[in-house]
Amino acid sequence: MTSKRKVFITGASGLVGEEVLRRMLVDDPALEAFVLVRNEIRWLLASKRLGALARRVVPLQGDTTLPGLGLESQVRQRVERETSAVVHAAADTSFSRSLDQARFVNTLGTYHVAEIASECLCLDRFMLVSTAFVAGRATGNILERDNGGDAGWVNSYEQSKYEAERNVRASGLPWTIVRPSTIVCRGPSGDIPQINAVHRALRVYHRGLAAMMPGDRAYHFDVITSSYVADAIARLTFNQRALHQTVHLCSGRRALTLGELVDTAYDVWAENPEWRKRGVERAIITDAATYALFERAVMETGDVRLRAVLSSLAHFIPHLALPKVFDTSVAEALLDASPPEPGTYWMPMLRCLLANNWGQTQEAAA
Amino acid sequence: MPFAKLNGQSTPAIAAINYAFPEGLRTVGELADERLLKSSAETMESFGFGNVHVALTETPYDLAVIAAKKLLEESRIDPASVGLLIYGGTPGSMAFAPSEGAESAAAGLCTMSRFKYPSTRLQYDLDLPNASTFALDQLACTTLLAAVRIARSLCLTEGIERALCVSSEFFPANAGREAIFNCTSDAACAVLVERNGLRNRLVSATTVTKGYYWDVDSLRDEIVASYFPTARHVLHRTIADAGWEPSDVDWVIPHNVSMRSWEILSGLVRLPRARLFTQNIVRHGHTLAGDNFINYRDALDGGCIEPGQRVVLFSYGFGAHWTGIAVEA
Repeated sequence: MTSKRKVFITGASGLVGEEVLRRMLVDDPALEAFVLVRNEIRWLLASKRLGALARRVVPLQGDTTLPGLGLESQVRQRVERETSAVVHAAADTSFSRSLDQARFVNTLGTYHVAEIASECLCLDRFMLVSTAFVAGRATGNILERDNGGDAGWVNSYEQSKYEAERNVRASGLPWTIVRPSTIVCRGPSGDIPQINAVHRALRVYHRGLAAMMPGDRAYHFDVITSSYVADAIARLTFNQRALHQTVHLCSGRRALTLGELVDTAYDVWAENPEWRKRGVERAIITDAATYALFERAVMETGDVRLRAVLSSLAHFIPHLALPKVFDTSVAEALLDASPPEPGTYWMPMLRCLLANNWGQTQEAAA
Repeated sequence: MPFAKLNGQSTPAIAAINYAFPEGLRTVGELADERLLKSSAETMESFGFGNVHVALTETPYDLAVIAAKKLLEESRIDPASVGLLIYGGTPGSMAFAPSEGAESAAAGLCTMSRFKYPSTRLQYDLDLPNASTFALDQLACTTLLAAVRIARSLCLTEGIERALCVSSEFFPANAGREAIFNCTSDAACAVLVERNGLRNRLVSATTVTKGYYWDVDSLRDEIVASYFPTARHVLHRTIADAGWEPSDVDWVIPHNVSMRSWEILSGLVRLPRARLFTQNIVRHGHTLAGDNFINYRDALDGGCIEPGQRVVLFSYGFGAHWTGIAVEA
């Protein structure tokens, strides 16, 4: 399909944004894009990876945290004149920020992007890339809608994204909100584009620095691939049926259980005779109260490294004890496809983590 | 592993336990004032510690003799019936030095003094003419559990009627009293194992050794992390090897590490009926020489444990060893 549409993308050098941009440019050879560039070097690297596709991309220096995104007046007018869809993928995905810091980028930043979008003359869609974990501490079946915030959140990232969603729904824009789960790899190859909290937690367990986690072996823990997420966003951006829809880009009921995820990890690690020789015991999946006691004991004892390890896990690991299944009915109906089975990429992802030593090999090569 | 019965013999059992603490007593506050703790007194108190016993004039050997003599006197057995003496704890010439002289005594290990063995002297001083002796080392807080396990095996395989296991440990005067958030006492403990006992029968024992953790200083974080899952594994295996279900266990007799760590381990192990004997943590702190048996004796004396009840003793020793023993009281 071809068009003369122009998409405005934030976060185009990020994990999701870059892949969305590539898909859109590949899928529609006539499509052109504005990308908001905050970090010029990161964009240069991203545009290099895009190759010839980058010729149809206009980089615009700016920052979502600034009013008007920091765009010059003429540039802003051009964006407002030509843009038919906005994909807002820029975010601060760190779980450990203060709420004010997270809001500054994720809530206020979304407000600034929505403000520009509201001035666009021919806007078909405002696509907000949120997170499935706006569900926060809620448990059970999580529907693809505003489920409220009564349950609270595990970290400031989730809360700031929830608040951004709420603002977008009330904005009067032709919005679609997509909520990806935790992205653990690109696809079935297991290739890891970006190390995140799940990978860092796995590293802690692999090193034997933590040996228990809260939860239950039967609880589901949702992860997803970036290729599925990017493909879905690219397809939904101009899908009329997706208007005013909230869409979970998650494994949903296909999610593996915590027991399956943990067992697979230890099985993969045990393939290495050197690691096996250490006799690292499999992490115990225990109730939240016992884990909290362990956490408290470590925090009180003042051991710097172990405290740092547990602090780094604290912004993420409570989710393991908050069982939830993300409903994907809307996503599957709109995309006419199911999300990939996590069993097809979880093990390859684990092997990739080992092969590149949790991203350190890649960094050294770069 | 489960203790297999050989040719219909009775299961070997613990026939007697006795122990000795030095006269010196310090509160954790006093230890903190003397800079013998790494953590604050408040932290140690919140972990359940109150007092520890500190040897000022007594040597480890003195304590071993006191504990063993008390046991022999109390049990009124014929000393000639003891066929084996297993000694564990403070090594060689250091066993004969008081805490102030411990460091210089260590130098004696490079001279003929190294052959001054506390185990053989103990055999002589206790007048155990038929007891062959050997010593256990490098098992830290699992030493006495290992001694009992070996004694039990040798009773069965060599027909030994009685085996006396003695362990004595102390810290040199300036060595500090804290080992990874545990307050430690000096003490000695003696356990008599009999080939044919009806009470306190040794039903099973499990030991897991993980040599990876041999370097205690540099692998401290990994040791803290590995402690709990391995402890759970060993406790479950000890119970299974005894032919028991987790719900069969009446008592867990701990080593006196922090209450907090036992609360955590209890949450992980899930023995629905089991009670944990923790009274001695505040009274004595952690003794390398034999917490479990000191506690077991006190629990029996206090009427906590009734005949026939199912009891699991568990300890961890740096190095690293995790040991559990199942006993039918």
